[in-house]
Amino acid sequence: MSDKHEISLTVNGREHTLVVEPRRLLVDVLREDLGLPGTHIGCEHGVCGTCTVLLDGASVRSCITLAVQADGRAVRTVEDLAHGPDLHPLQDEFWDKQGLQCGYCTPGMLMRAVEILEHTPDPTPEQVREQIASNLCRCTGYQYIVEAVVAAAPRLRGENAWDPTTPTEAKA
Amino acid sequence: MTAIERPAPPVRDQDKTRTWVGKSIRRVEDPKFLRGRGGYIADLVRPGMLHAAVLRSPHAHARIVSIDTTAAAALEGVHAVITGAQAAELTAPLPDFGPDPAKHTWRCLAADKVRYVGEGVAVVVADSRYLAEDALALIDVEYEPLPAVVDPERALQAGAPLVHEALGTNLAYERSFDFGDVDGDFAAADVVVRDRLRWHRSGGQPLETVGAIADYDPSTGQLTAHTNSLSFTSYLFMVATTLKMPVNKLDIHPVPAGGSFGSKLFATKPLVLAAMCSQAVGRPVVYLEDRVDNISNCDHHGSDRVYEVELALMRDGTIRSLTIDTVDDYGAYIQFGVGHHGNALAQVTGPYTIGSVRYRVRAALTNKNQQGAYRGFGSEVNNWMLEQMVDKAARELGLDPVQIRRQNFIQPAQFPYFIPTGNVYDSGNYDAVLDEALELGEYDRWRAEQVRAREEGRYIGIGLITAQERSVFSATEFWFWFDEPGAPVTSMPESVTLGVDATGGITATLYSCAFWGNSPETMVAQLVAEEFDCEPQDVSILYHGSKGGLPATGPGGSRTTVMLAGAVEGASEKIKAKARRAASELLEADPDDLEWVGGGFQVKGVPEQRKSLADIAIMLHLFKHSFPEDMESGLEESQVFDHPYTTMPSADRKDLGVFYPFMGHACHIPVVEVDIETGQVSVLAYAAVHDCGTLVNPRSLSGHIVGGTAQGIGTALYEEYVYDDEGQLITSSFLDYSIPSAMEVPELRIGHVETPSPYTPHGIKGGGEGGRMMAPAALNVAVNDALAPLGVRVTELPMTPDRLRAAIRAAGAQQR
Amino acid sequence: MKPPPFHYASPTSVSDAVTLLVEHADEEPRVLAGGQSLVPLMNFRLAQPGYLVDLRRVAGLDTIRHDGEVLVIGAMVRQATAERSPEVALGAPLLAEALHYVAHLPIRNSGTVVGSIAHADPAAELPAVALALDAEMTAVGPQGERRIPAAEFFQGPFTTSLGADEILTAVRLPHVRGGHAFVEFARTHGNFALVGVAALIGVENGRISSAALALSGVAPTPIRLHAAEQALVGAAPEGAAVSAAVDVGTAGLHPAGDLQAGTTTRIDIARAYLRRGIERALDRALDRR
Repeated sequence: MSDKHEISLTVNGREHTLVVEPRRLLVDVLREDLGLPGTHIGCEHGVCGTCTVLLDGASVRSCITLAVQADGRAVRTVEDLAHGPDLHPLQDEFWDKQGLQCGYCTPGMLMRAVEILEHTPDPTPEQVREQIASNLCRCTGYQYIVEAVVAAAPRLRGENAWDPTTPTEAKA
Repeated sequence: MTAIERPAPPVRDQDKTRTWVGKSIRRVEDPKFLRGRGGYIADLVRPGMLHAAVLRSPHAHARIVSIDTTAAAALEGVHAVITGAQAAELTAPLPDFGPDPAKHTWRCLAADKVRYVGEGVAVVVADSRYLAEDALALIDVEYEPLPAVVDPERALQAGAPLVHEALGTNLAYERSFDFGDVDGDFAAADVVVRDRLRWHRSGGQPLETVGAIADYDPSTGQLTAHTNSLSFTSYLFMVATTLKMPVNKLDIHPVPAGGSFGSKLFATKPLVLAAMCSQAVGRPVVYLEDRVDNISNCDHHGSDRVYEVELALMRDGTIRSLTIDTVDDYGAYIQFGVGHHGNALAQVTGPYTIGSVRYRVRAALTNKNQQGAYRGFGSEVNNWMLEQMVDKAARELGLDPVQIRRQNFIQPAQFPYFIPTGNVYDSGNYDAVLDEALELGEYDRWRAEQVRAREEGRYIGIGLITAQERSVFSATEFWFWFDEPGAPVTSMPESVTLGVDATGGITATLYSCAFWGNSPETMVAQLVAEEFDCEPQDVSILYHGSKGGLPATGPGGSRTTVMLAGAVEGASEKIKAKARRAASELLEADPDDLEWVGGGFQVKGVPEQRKSLADIAIMLHLFKHSFPEDMESGLEESQVFDHPYTTMPSADRKDLGVFYPFMGHACHIPVVEVDIETGQVSVLAYAAVHDCGTLVNPRSLSGHIVGGTAQGIGTALYEEYVYDDEGQLITSSFLDYSIPSAMEVPELRIGHVETPSPYTPHGIKGGGEGGRMMAPAALNVAVNDALAPLGVRVTELPMTPDRLRAAIRAAGAQQR
Repeated sequence: MKPPPFHYASPTSVSDAVTLLVEHADEEPRVLAGGQSLVPLMNFRLAQPGYLVDLRRVAGLDTIRHDGEVLVIGAMVRQATAERSPEVALGAPLLAEALHYVAHLPIRNSGTVVGSIAHADPAAELPAVALALDAEMTAVGPQGERRIPAAEFFQGPFTTSLGADEILTAVRLPHVRGGHAFVEFARTHGNFALVGVAALIGVENGRISSAALALSGVAPTPIRLHAAEQALVGAAPEGAAVSAAVDVGTAGLHPAGDLQAGTTTRIDIARAYLRRGIERALDRALDRR
């Protein structure tokens, strides 16, 4: 019964054209059609946040997003964080602070943390804790995740260091 | 207590300087998980792999009249549809350690009737999970609903609907045990404190569900499987029996699990379903539960108990005795028997010098998903019950909650201490833990704050509890329930092989060792590094499948680190013994003149006369003729490490022997505020001090304390599998089953006291479950402390707004 | 938990979208905006639409604009966009505050303001806000455009007066003077609310001059507490008036009990949060915060 649709999406900077059934969930297309198993499935009803990816830079739950809804848009997954052997500062801090135990919620948590630090480059632990409440973790009890995100913040601000040629307001 | 022989292991001198044990190094497991390359079961793809989905019963109790699979089987992309009746031909019942498996028979799919909402009745194999689910919708099942039995106490009454007709009753097990002189102690006591307590079932709910990929090769009869539930390899022959295949053609490989908390302990059903399907279609088949599958049908719900308890004590607070009468709602099957009560009996008297205990347990069967394992495995419930009673006694006698505990503590000089049941507590220093917790938790400051808050009309409570966290179970706790057990097994080993390659690099092979989010690789890497003076990250770790593997058990009962430590120690000793001999040949020195220093053997007093492990290894690998006739090439040794301290129960079962000897301890002090208008509980502060002996990686253990406490908060306040009066599972997804988020879990202040075990390598005790073993008790005591001025005492978990508001209303408190 | 098969289209105009709804009327067509309510239902196979009309490519639906004293929010405006919008902060601060409570940011990044209103979950925040603000829904169908007042829009749980061949293209929120407050009680952070309160209270010359109180979670639809509003208007903005309003407002409530809370507890919570909502709105009206 189901028709198929051609969609184009940019995933981790690379453009893909796919033909998919409209009912295919974005998380399944990422994992199976694009060979990116880093995004995990936890609940398939949009509660746990394990499947979090960035869609045009904003965090979304890929288990309740149809792949066709991502047509023409850009997706970023955990596979895009490290540069070759170099871990992203968030990954490195999760490692250093033991912000993971089983690792299953970690990709979704990392992508959410990317967004948190983009919105709030200098967060307090309380702010981080409130923001990561969107993502469930069953192992860590969240404490070391908060520590990891707080520790990563200055390292990411360092990457966006003050540029004297750009007006200050533009960086708000 | 009956006097029986108690051979204990040798007492070790644990006083040592350690390099790697005790260091909070980064975990060696993490890099792959950080990059999204964890290799979980859903990440594995086999060429030609097909997907299975299970059709589940919407009824709690019903006869299966007929199943029509014609339309489903005809759907394009469907390769097989197997009903429960067909599965009963293809497979034998599942491995079952219950009291009477022939009569409470448990199968991978329901054959004649369904016994709980969610029980599987058919399985479809299709090209994709999407298609398999489409096919499920086309299966036509005719049910004849039967009356459901839901309440465990009603299940035990005459005339209740029977879950298993063959059993003839819903009482799967009953026995009363007397340890010590209970009647005498009660007669001598001044006061008896009574209560009725209710602990409702919650469960591990890891974010990753259970799954398996099975690949049956019809040409060889070989079945190769990958699963995120691999444990108890010594019992895997039972899975082969279920699959009606030879044991030596079965090979099961472990795959990292996205959490377990017990729920992936020997979870054989998904594996059997996948294997049965693969055998049927001759292609690899993956069966991976989705969330609804798991919530309704995981076979691992937690304890579900009613308690009637009496605590006998003297007016000065000295506790004499305890009688416990508990009904445990096991659901429709009882795969682990009443082993959960063994966990309770291991530490039933807590950290106190209570002289006698009566323990009556009744296992009730009802129309619900069965119990399995959940962090604590039934001991956390006992902790909660006991601390509730101590708290109630303190209130009734007007005694200080800190003081009543101190005066009943087992003292350091009394260890090793045998409790009335016969189990031993190897070591402890309970005052030290309490002292640290009081300081860390700013107890006095919060008591003052509590007074101030009450004047403002706010209800703050402090929940101080002191309780035990046992580790490393023996096999006996699964069968000492019976005077004539069918299988009085005594093996519960863990195994490690250490191999030194020609460059001196070390590889550790683990058997049946599940990665659940615990840190087996980091533990082993640190332990091996300690033995061989190398860097932990240079140790290579392998996970061996079941075939050709040494016997092993895997995680459970906080046993992993201790047991791996024993296996590593044993294998290391063998490696060093051979290396010493080899070195003595190479250095032309007497073996007794050599000492191990800095990663090699050298002549005592002559450090230049030295051979590193690498020097020795390459010679052993390649230069056979440099060594005596009887020395084999290579440098690889294994250790099957059996439980180091198990003793047999007495014939009359008045003494259960030693079965859970490495006894940790903790003190938790949460501070809560109760909004009496709504029944909402907030946690304002939380201090947790644990004593798990010597810590291998303190940060890792702390992480488990926080995570376990978070789950304990869930159990205490939010989480419950709710079945209505018809047996419908109301909490069928995360929309209704509320898992704590980061806003429900406070920041914990964590303290460690390290009282080493005298019996284990380095003095390590297990501690992975500890957080959850304490938190429900602590939070209940805290809420009762907050509501004491209103005359409210809560005795049921979870403490939902409904339950708290009902209690507050009943106590006549007026809303502002 | 995979959705069943369906047909799908993403038209580029409202009229094309309406045409699709009409043409496929016997295939159980549904409109897709953010999908944060619909797709989970489809994953559970509780909703099985045969035809999905996706609004994501329809021009002109993602704007927030002023039409006189009315704030008009288009159908594809994401909740997160509205939350951050200076126009919303100025023109409908009650909406901005309520949006903080809607699930979590990742849901709000996809979910739409209008979509949540159209979904009409009795426990949801935005329908209560629409009711408190006396909002109007703009609906477009084969007969053209019509405006539906909020008071007539919500018919029952997940049921509105929108026709099966109509699309909600915007919600129109009148600017209401006075102090606003949105408060809610949920078991865990970001979870579905048991009770939500949307309050707007005006104070002039030392007396309460206007009051709008809407509750979610206590009835099959969000409800306005007209009796409580009347009790407040004309009264001095003090404790006695608040208590009276709470008593009157919760007197007639008969919320259905469920897993999260029984009827009595739900009323207890409604009383507590109604009082908190009124107090906060009064604080704002009197500039006390």
